Amino acid sequence: MSSPDLRAELCGIALANPLVNGSGTLDALAAGTLGLGAFVTKTVTLHPREGNPPVRIAETPAGMVNSIGLANPGLDAFCTDHLPRLGDLGVPVIASVGGWSPAEYATAVARIGAHPAVAAIELNVSCPNVESGCISIGTDAGETRALVERCRAETDVPVLAKLSPSVADVAAIATAAAEGGAHGLVLINTVRGIAIDRDRLEPLLGGGGGGLSGPAIKPVALHAIFHARAATGLPIIGMGGVASAQDCVEFLAAGASLVGIGTSLFADPGLPERVLPELGGLMRQHGVEAIGDLTGVAHPQVSSSTRA
Amino acid sequence: MPPPTRSLEVAAVEAVGAYTLLRLRDDGGDNGAPGQFFMLRAEPAPADAYLPRAISAAWAGDGEVAFLLDIRGSGTRALAAARTVSVLGPLGRGFTLAPGPSILVGGGIGAAVLPWLRRRLAPTGEVRTVLGFRSEAHAVCAGLVDPAAAVVLDPVLVTEPLARLLPAEATVYACGPDRMLEAVAALCAEHDVPCQLAMEAAMACGFGACYGCAVRIDGTWKRLCIEGPVVEAARVLA
Repeated sequence: MSSPDLRAELCGIALANPLVNGSGTLDALAAGTLGLGAFVTKTVTLHPREGNPPVRIAETPAGMVNSIGLANPGLDAFCTDHLPRLGDLGVPVIASVGGWSPAEYATAVARIGAHPAVAAIELNVSCPNVESGCISIGTDAGETRALVERCRAETDVPVLAKLSPSVADVAAIATAAAEGGAHGLVLINTVRGIAIDRDRLEPLLGGGGGGLSGPAIKPVALHAIFHARAATGLPIIGMGGVASAQDCVEFLAAGASLVGIGTSLFADPGLPERVLPELGGLMRQHGVEAIGDLTGVAHPQVSSSTRA
Repeated sequence: MPPPTRSLEVAAVEAVGAYTLLRLRDDGGDNGAPGQFFMLRAEPAPADAYLPRAISAAWAGDGEVAFLLDIRGSGTRALAAARTVSVLGPLGRGFTLAPGPSILVGGGIGAAVLPWLRRRLAPTGEVRTVLGFRSEAHAVCAGLVDPAAAVVLDPVLVTEPLARLLPAEATVYACGPDRMLEAVAALCAEHDVPCQLAMEAAMACGFGACYGCAVRIDGTWKRLCIEGPVVEAARVLA
């Protein structure tokens, strides 16, 4: 058997491997791309945002709660300063976009999508750390459908919807995104959480609540990916607590085409370089020669044909 | 790119009063300069302390890198019990060593960053040290910094002995709790004495990725791991 092929593909974008970062978990201009197959930017909004006051992060069992608050330089600085440099990274760039109204998203999508450095756009409709806008769109099927539809009309690059697990029925939101014309999905954003200061017995984070990430949310992520895949069949960037090659294989099996690493990059920036050879070993163990052959095998109808 | 992560063997773990000195065997890698920091995590990583801890070295040299720990929870407890420690760093910006006399100011575990700084400053000029602690047991570590240090205990504030040294033709280097740093910065500004603050903030990554360590610098929230942890006091007061 030839050596496993780690090359991956999402919506026509070719990647050297299936690993990406979660939006907001890597500053590639400062730290490089760490061996990832593509880079996802921190969510950019129309206007610059300072972010939330500290404390912004709290460690919790097998993870952390963050309340960063979409700190970003704003659309102008992103397009004129960041994007040209991101184009030199040597990997596909997926630009993450947020906003407070469909019009804000549409403006950002049109401008960012026209930049040659951008391979795809992620619509962040699921940030837990801002008061309105992003998160409220992603909790409503109708608003999600309408937003995706509007943004698709603004650009020729693939549009991905990043969804929250903190909804009653993630498959219904995923279906709405698909109906709006999303080319793919990104699952999951952080899970809403709160941390209490052990001495003061008050919310610890400056923003009050926050988003939980890390291995603690892995089963939640797998559930969301599994059902979003079953409901839509769309390609998915799966993330939420990924910390090992074994995790990657499980996320692929649940329905992901690419796998995102976030919180684990904080703890260990060398993780992607270590995971990739191990992933090759696991592919061999499972008898697959291409990464895409693992996607969705946990679904009964897929596994019966693949494993035959 | 962040520097490579090293796995360093624990040479010794010693109680220093209420604090714990973690001495790692150096592998000859780059240890940076006083005031820079490292992300430390026990190997294997404890399940209940997923993230590494951002800690500045007490000193590096002569085949070891040493860290003074305030054991507060499972992450630091695991470090003190580990056989090997994962070390990412040096990270951030350390102290800028100014010529001439120096005044070191430390509060509590903030004293941990000062021994190495004093060793570097001593050959170039007079160094005076003022330290504040909450108990005698915590004050034991003063000996690691400067055997001649002026030490005060709670409720006396370290700004009291500092105020007696000012004004002075000197550079002040301070590390301690936020409120102490604010008071030290204000006192130095009053006397027009240059002052560098080694600051602290909760950090998940240490290399600019998480945006968790926001500190008010130049009038806006900035990442302490990139701008600091040592920052000119004037930039924080701005």
